[in-house]
Amino acid sequence: MRLYAVEIERAIARIREESAKTVCIQLPDGMKPYAEEIEEEIVVATGARVLIWLGSNFGACDVPLGLPKMGVDLLISWGHNPFHKKMDGW
Amino acid sequence: MNVLFLDAPYTGKVELCPETITFLKKKNIRCVALYASVQFCNNLEKIQEQLDRLNIKHITSRADRTHVRGQLLGCDNYHDSLHLNAKELEEIDAYLYIGDGKFHPLALVYAQKDVLKDQVKEIICNDPMARKMSMMDFSAIRVILRKYRASLMKFLVAKKVGVIVTVKPGQEHLKASFRLEKKFPDTKFYFFVDDVVSFSQLENFPFIEVWINTTCPRVGFDDQEKFVRGVVNLNDAFMVREILGKENALNNV
Repeated sequence: MRLYAVEIERAIARIREESAKTVCIQLPDGMKPYAEEIEEEIVVATGARVLIWLGSNFGACDVPLGLPKMGVDLLISWGHNPFHKKMDGW
Repeated sequence: MNVLFLDAPYTGKVELCPETITFLKKKNIRCVALYASVQFCNNLEKIQEQLDRLNIKHITSRADRTHVRGQLLGCDNYHDSLHLNAKELEEIDAYLYIGDGKFHPLALVYAQKDVLKDQVKEIICNDPMARKMSMMDFSAIRVILRKYRASLMKFLVAKKVGVIVTVKPGQEHLKASFRLEKKFPDTKFYFFVDDVVSFSQLENFPFIEVWINTTCPRVGFDDQEKFVRGVVNLNDAFMVREILGKENALNNV
């Protein structure tokens, strides 16, 4: 059994809803070993091309840059919820 | 590009382990401030029931950058980040953190550096995965805080200061950092831009006397050792005189 719920059905539903053709998945270190299964489940269910973010996933403040230039339609980031940035510099 | 965040909640039981219960009873804890990381914060009912049965009051809040009440982020590490009022701060006997690892509960230690030493509260960490309890206090960060205080003093007299700004939208604080020039007109600020903080590049700018961190506030503390010339967080730089002149835990570590 996985320690953390992947909620793959939510990911697949969102990919379908947005008709996303290219998806980047970003996982925290503890979930990176799940990448193989997540990639396969998304490809089988949606046919989308899945790119796996190799780098850090420190928080919702740590969203990768440059993905739209690579044609990524949707980023799915696990392990965090929306981040409320303080605009005054903390 | 749209972004979907998925919490990845913990799938096991989220409850107080026997060791935690024994400790709470032994220390006669009557009120705790309850926080958890995102994997646990939406599943605290069982723990709240356990605390009720122990007749322990539990209060919580929505911290600055979080999305839900009771959630704790590592970057909510300042005394006002948790938004607990003075009465609540006085009432709590300890913080009770639910989750694994040290990164998140350390935020609760850092958050207390600005209060009087005798007002510092214990942090009880209950790990539902390992079913273990641990304590966290200033001993975990004493060396870091001493260095941080030295960096603050260095900043106060520095003539050339490097300001590090990263381009990630969640961490970028360029405009806020420009305000340093107004506040400290006799100091020359050099603004460095990066996608992440490239620690190995710092030594290539030997004219910088001390650095200001504007990225994640934890960089200013946890990565203090990687800054040979010292680093100060942006908000502390603005208040450097007040911080160093105040009676607080930071000045007494």
